[in-house]
Amino acid sequence: MRKITALGIIAGMLSVPALAQKKIEFKEFDLDNGLHVIMHQDQSTPIVVTSVLYHVGSKNENPERTGFAHFFEHLMFEGSENIERGQYMNIIQGRGGTLNAYTSNDITYYYESLPSNELELALYMESERMLHSKVDETGVETQREVVKEERRQRYENQPYGTILPETLKRAYSQHPYQWAPIGSMEHLNAASIEEFQQFYKDFYVPNNATLTIAGDIDYAQTEAWVKKYFSEIPMGKKEIYRPNVREPKKTEEIRDVIYDNIQIPAVIQAYNLPPKTDADSYALSMLSTYLTGGASSLMTKELVDKQQKALVVAAIPLELEDGGIFIMYSIANMGVEPKDLETEIDKLIKQVQDEGLSDQDFTKLKNIMENNIVSSNSSMAGIAENLAEAHAIYGDANYINKVMDAYSKVTKEDIQRVAKEYLNLNGRVVLYYLPKAQQPAQ
Amino acid sequence: MKKIAISFVLSFLVAVVSYAQLDRTQFPKSGPAPEIKIGEAETFTLDNGLKVFVVKNDKLPRVSFTLVLERDPLLEGDKAGLTGFVGEMMTSGTTNRTKDQLDEEVDFIGASLSASSTSIFASSLKKHQAKVLELMADVLYNPVFPQEELDKLRKQSLTSLASSKDDPGAISSRLTNAIMFGKDHPYGEVETEETINNITVADIKNYYETFFKPNIAYLAIVGDMDKSEAEKVVNEYFAAWKPGEVPTFTYETPKRPETSVVGLVDRSSSVQTNINIVQPVELQIGDEDYISSRLVNQILGGGSSSRLFMNLREDKGYTYGAYSSISSDKLIGRISANAAVRTEVTDSAVVQFIYELDRLVKSGVTEEELEKAKSNLAGSFGRSLESPSTIANFALNTERYNLPKDYYATYLQKMNSYTVEDINKAAVDLIQPDKMYITAVGNGSEIKEKLAQFGEVRMFTNMGDPAKEIQMTDASMTASKVIESYIQAIGGEEAVKAIKAAKLLMKADVMGNAVEIAMTFDDANMRFGQKTIVMGNVMQSSTMMDGKGVVSAGGQTIDMTDEQYEEAKMNALFIPEAHYEVLGYSMELDGIKDVEGTPAYKVIISNPSGAKVINYYAVDSGLKIKNENEKSGDTFYSDYQEKNGVLVPMSWTMKSPMLPVPLEAKIESLEINPTLTETDFK
Repeated sequence: MRKITALGIIAGMLSVPALAQKKIEFKEFDLDNGLHVIMHQDQSTPIVVTSVLYHVGSKNENPERTGFAHFFEHLMFEGSENIERGQYMNIIQGRGGTLNAYTSNDITYYYESLPSNELELALYMESERMLHSKVDETGVETQREVVKEERRQRYENQPYGTILPETLKRAYSQHPYQWAPIGSMEHLNAASIEEFQQFYKDFYVPNNATLTIAGDIDYAQTEAWVKKYFSEIPMGKKEIYRPNVREPKKTEEIRDVIYDNIQIPAVIQAYNLPPKTDADSYALSMLSTYLTGGASSLMTKELVDKQQKALVVAAIPLELEDGGIFIMYSIANMGVEPKDLETEIDKLIKQVQDEGLSDQDFTKLKNIMENNIVSSNSSMAGIAENLAEAHAIYGDANYINKVMDAYSKVTKEDIQRVAKEYLNLNGRVVLYYLPKAQQPAQ
Repeated sequence: MKKIAISFVLSFLVAVVSYAQLDRTQFPKSGPAPEIKIGEAETFTLDNGLKVFVVKNDKLPRVSFTLVLERDPLLEGDKAGLTGFVGEMMTSGTTNRTKDQLDEEVDFIGASLSASSTSIFASSLKKHQAKVLELMADVLYNPVFPQEELDKLRKQSLTSLASSKDDPGAISSRLTNAIMFGKDHPYGEVETEETINNITVADIKNYYETFFKPNIAYLAIVGDMDKSEAEKVVNEYFAAWKPGEVPTFTYETPKRPETSVVGLVDRSSSVQTNINIVQPVELQIGDEDYISSRLVNQILGGGSSSRLFMNLREDKGYTYGAYSSISSDKLIGRISANAAVRTEVTDSAVVQFIYELDRLVKSGVTEEELEKAKSNLAGSFGRSLESPSTIANFALNTERYNLPKDYYATYLQKMNSYTVEDINKAAVDLIQPDKMYITAVGNGSEIKEKLAQFGEVRMFTNMGDPAKEIQMTDASMTASKVIESYIQAIGGEEAVKAIKAAKLLMKADVMGNAVEIAMTFDDANMRFGQKTIVMGNVMQSSTMMDGKGVVSAGGQTIDMTDEQYEEAKMNALFIPEAHYEVLGYSMELDGIKDVEGTPAYKVIISNPSGAKVINYYAVDSGLKIKNENEKSGDTFYSDYQEKNGVLVPMSWTMKSPMLPVPLEAKIESLEINPTLTETDFK
């Protein structure tokens, strides 16, 4: 009896370090036209999520035509040869579904979630979009107006809304990450219909797309329908344009002031990151959680609760294929000078660089990360997106099952090391956002 | 060769033909509707009465525990707001852990733990379940309800109550609740400063001891745990929980009005009217009309392709969005149709709302609308099943509402069986368009008369109390007489004339920051200086002298235009009333209004270029209690004290869209007729 107990305890101890991730099963195949297809079966709920990831983002744009990738995200809802203008959403909703899309610097992602008996419809709709979407004057005109409203709502009319474009502009001197996905309205106004059509032909091709289907599906039937609707779509004729630009390492701090329609000043600091697939990304992501993730994190506790110098402070690693930025932003409390707040933030960064973190904090960090990773695969929509990204960015859909491992390899020392290596005060961008009222007269 | 070539061409043709068979003009048909398999919850009951539901779902190594208390709604009376504090107080420390320790231990395992007056929720990864249960049980058994946490919560609550008094959405919600249910009903009563200040730690403790009992509780366990393990852990952590008798309460059922009535809150600064047309409805889950009520609402105003949206937004452009809801509740549910519309179209929008309600009840729905509504609701029903907590909710509802065991398993079948006739009948059963409460929060002087066509207009305050409709009994009253009596009230002409200048310092606290406002008035020479200091820094200042004005903020200085100067002057005098005539201002008396419970004469003062300020003078005391102006918002005056023979308000409460919370400033020092030099104004 005793032996068994002892064994049990040992087994229990052994099982502790293994992190809690269950394997996500999936099947993959390619069509002759280059379309990559990933299927994940989960019959617990009769729904199906269908998504298409086009490997095109703002970084693939012509510097004279920024905003194209995002503009296409809008244009692709205009309809196709067989789908009437403006009906794309109504058709999906009328069959009980929801849908959405987004554009980043690297990718454009479309998805719809429907009852599982509507899978064929979803595949048809996405294939229409890929085969012969409506790219015409009327659609371009309509969506130009919509994008203008979106700009107003999300950037111009939104306090602090321009943080991302203003930061990117300064964080990159060479790489096309220097402009944000929303791009330039002047460029969109200047573009001809032929240019829009060419962009569609260049990037909205099966060999630049990943189709992911997750949910209550039959693998064979799904594969047959995919072939039925997608096989006839011709492969792109040209090699896909992917910028091959190395952003030089910055050696001097870039410092600027932005006057915005705000009441309270904000301090933004940005540090250049390694490529998203770099091994250090995991430690950097943990570092950001250590600094500002949750009420008991280092900076939130010190700056928001104790010193009350900041209303909010957040560290966000914007991970990008060719190397993104680590953005820290904080909004000053009433009457606190931005300089004062910046000094306190820098002190804490220096503390992490010099002293690292405690064992207790490191364990807590691991627990939080584990919970986050597990939760990211809690819905079909989440799984579809993670699988698509694993294939398109990491080159392996099975990366979805390796994320936890990668995080579990990060050591306490790694976190201190990446803080020293990447949060380099000499190569960063610092922006003060100040109320327009404080702008000196020209 | 030739043959081969031909057969090659043929096969090519065939291939082309086979592709061409795909007729892309036809949309794929829906497959056979999938069978919705709704996971069964397993149940068991402890000896102390705790009913447990277990929904096993081991897709992810997570588990959650939701404890729910089933008690009757409470009338909190002079302690309204009490239940809002219970949850936060439960998680503010136990006999074993301070609040900080509790937070740290929850964060340490990446878990969540929260509570309300009728629930405790905990979730974590499977491997941390013992720890999270230990924390949950500690909160359930050993809360200490620290006084300082109550003080903190009370402060937050008072702050948000203060800002809600000027928030049209919050006002509208108080108004609809009060008018529909009455203030003596749990759903109609309103939290006030007084009721919030009445709440003590002992009240919260008493609530906890009365209602946190296993015999009225359900525990839903969802995630990676089966029934036998659940039995083990529930026994370990919850068997010791002592049962006890819990009081029950009944209330009179709120009635619909005989004919529609209008409830109006006058918010004169509004540029939009918040319209909410409501009616109580007896409807709960499991009722005959419940599922059909979902369809009725979907067609009327459930989404952005529903009738209200299509009519009021897409067709008329009155609003950004118009929606409806039909809520179900054990005690009493409600029907609501609402939108925020431009002031000018308030009555036209109400006409369209009533038209749509009438049309629904009289003409019914179309086959196409019904089919679309069914797909839409079936789709979201299906998607909701992805979350295991939905299954737990279904099990809970089945128990709470005493539903047939297969109620949710056959939910979609039942929904799909409804015909146009069924839905039309349900609409008639549920909605009575001629017995509505038509509520509006907006600019009363612009909309009150126009709303009278829909029913008797009842005026309410921003707290949902009937506004005192005050008739001007003295028809001979004029604006100048009001001003005269004000001068009389504060000390008489002689004393007022003797006041030539004043210098004062006010202090306030805004969300924990000390704010100081210094003002210097030189009424005799029309000089004025003002400074706002936040935590020692001058945030903003203004100076008026020699017929010119400058404003500075954040290091920048702006000269006022002549027009701005003239407008600023209207508020730059210590006792402006003594100067109105000389300055050539015109005055108009706009009746008696209710100012936070005090009847007051409303006087509109205009300068020659048309800029306006509005003052309110209490009818009984004659004192000025409120000033309204477009630029700086509303200022309320109180605590009048005698200084140099003149009554001066020592407390100023300022409300403006520029301020996150109302600024309650108190005069800390006041010098009358000081010796002033130019530097006093800079």
